[in-house]
Formats: sequence, structure tokens, C-alpha cells
Amino acid sequence: MTAYQFATEAVSQGHEIYRVFFYGDGVLNANSLSVAPQDEINLSEAWDEFLKNNGIDSVACVSSALVRGILDFDESTRHEMASVSLFKSTQIAGLGQLVDAALHSERLVSFG
Amino acid sequence: MSALHTISGSPSSGLLDSCLKLICPGDGILFIQDGVYYGCPPYLIDCVSKDNALFALREDLLARGVFSILAERIDPVGYGRFVELTVDYDKVISWS
Amino acid sequence: MQHKTLTFITRQAPYGNNKAKLIMDAALAAAVFEQQVNFLFMDDGVFQLIQKQNAEFISSKTIGRALETLELYGIEQVLVDAASLQERHIAADDLSIPVKILKAKEVRQLTTNSDVVINL
Repeated sequence: MTAYQFATEAVSQGHEIYRVFFYGDGVLNANSLSVAPQDEINLSEAWDEFLKNNGIDSVACVSSALVRGILDFDESTRHEMASVSLFKSTQIAGLGQLVDAALHSERLVSFG
Repeated sequence: MSALHTISGSPSSGLLDSCLKLICPGDGILFIQDGVYYGCPPYLIDCVSKDNALFALREDLLARGVFSILAERIDPVGYGRFVELTVDYDKVISWS
Repeated sequence: MQHKTLTFITRQAPYGNNKAKLIMDAALAAAVFEQQVNFLFMDDGVFQLIQKQNAEFISSKTIGRALETLELYGIEQVLVDAASLQERHIAADDLSIPVKILKAKEVRQLTTNSDVVINL
């Protein structure tokens, strides 16, 4: 939630977000199959909307994602799984994308 | 180069002790999430040098009902100022 | 490509969660980008350095092999916070890979001189 609110505020102040990189349990924020209780915000949906509306590149760390069942179409097909669980606004890639983001950005802000 | 340290765990996490091993004069600390309990009694924030500015995220203080007992030395800030702080300091080091 | 000094801090014991592996993989990725990489063990992270580990007993991968790859990838600055070793009664000659042990002041300098500090 903190990361989402921070990112929203950064965009509203006119900052450019080079990339959102989900790692560890953070990849669950890109889970398209999560269902929130009726009276609570669905954080994955909020992220998906935010990323799409602002055209922000987003990556889920491959090693964190697969073990948690976060699969895009290719991974789901390759491993012969029943469904796809990753929002289309996020791609699966390696930690190189985190390093690339650190090199291309003025600031790296991480949330554990 | 100065750093903004964000701390997101309560005093039982020991994260402030870890942060203090790295902190330099001129660095700032922003307490977020359960980290805001560091700013409240009975915890004493005196272990942090006066050379380090201290902040706590207002939303997290209010959510936990501890806004009114925040130590005087700590500046409550909203998300707007949080973003500005990450720009004011040269880098951000997160402790979680 | 920009050149930066990146410092990775590993603060978790090896097998309780997968953070240790994640941070190491991130550092190896940075080395592939030919950046100046510092890799610092502190707090419970120093438990990763204990010799004679065998994680087969808990159906995990022993971290020692991965630690050796740091050097293979050209990460020369493999560093340990001296205080973290002392607090855990671990002697410098008990460590599984060659490391440089840093005093409190040197640890501060390391992070001050880094463009990016990655403490996941």
C-alpha cells in the first residue's frame, strides 16, 4: 500500500517512473486472480489501473513470481498450468531489469 | 552523498540499530508503516544524533492512533513530502 | 550505459527465507552490467558465511556455491561488517570465502560513496 501511494504521489508531482519492479512477496501485487473482501481495496487491481493509465513499465521478478504461482501466458503454457495469473500491465523478467532501472533512474526507492 | 533511510518495522525489528550502523551526519530517517512506533513512548529516539533529521509518515501515525504522542523531534510528513524527501537526499536506503 | 557504484546489503540468514538468494542474484546481475559492485554482509547476513553448511538436510541449496560465484562474476568488493561478526561470536578465520572486514567507520564510508544502496 505504501509503495502504491508513493508511486501515485510521485506521478502527480510530475516525476517520471522508469519502472515498477515487483520482487519477493511484492509480486503478489501483480496477481490478477486475487479477490479482496467487498469493503476493502483490491490493491492488485489498483496497481494494474495505475500502471495502465500512466503507461509505466512494470516487471515481476521471474524467480519470485513463478514459485508464488504468478504466471503470464507463456509461463503458464510452458509449465502446462490451468490459468494465467499475471496482469497484462506487468511482464515477467529477471533481476537485470532491477539493475537496469537503478542505472537509468535518479532515485531507486524500495519497499520491503 | 546524503541518504534518506526509511524504516518500516517496529522497535522489536531492530531495524533502527541496523540503520544506525550506516547512518552519516546529514542523513535523514523517515519512519513508515510499523516503523512509526519508534517515534512514540516508551521508545526513546535519543540514540539518533541531532545531526540527523527525523520524519514519520502522517498517514501511518494517524492509522495507528499515535499521531498525538509523536516525539517532538520528529516531523510528521504526508506522501507529498515523502516524495520530496527522496529528491532532497541523494539516495534512499530502505530498512524493512 | 551509465556507470554507478552499487552497494548490495545482505542482512538475512541463509535459509529462513529467500532474501539471501534474491540479493545475491541482484548483485550478480549488476556485475553483468559491468558496474562497480560492493557486496556487504551485515546483521544475520553473516550467518551465510559460516563454513561446513549442508542445506541438503533441509532440502535446500547450500549457499556456499552461490557465494563463490561472486568472485567469478568479478565482484571484488565482498565485505563484512565487523560488529555483526562480533555480536554473533563468529571469528574472521571461520568464514567460507575471502572477505574484507570493515570497521564501523569504513561501513559508513562505503554507503556514503555509493550511488545506489540496495537493501531489499
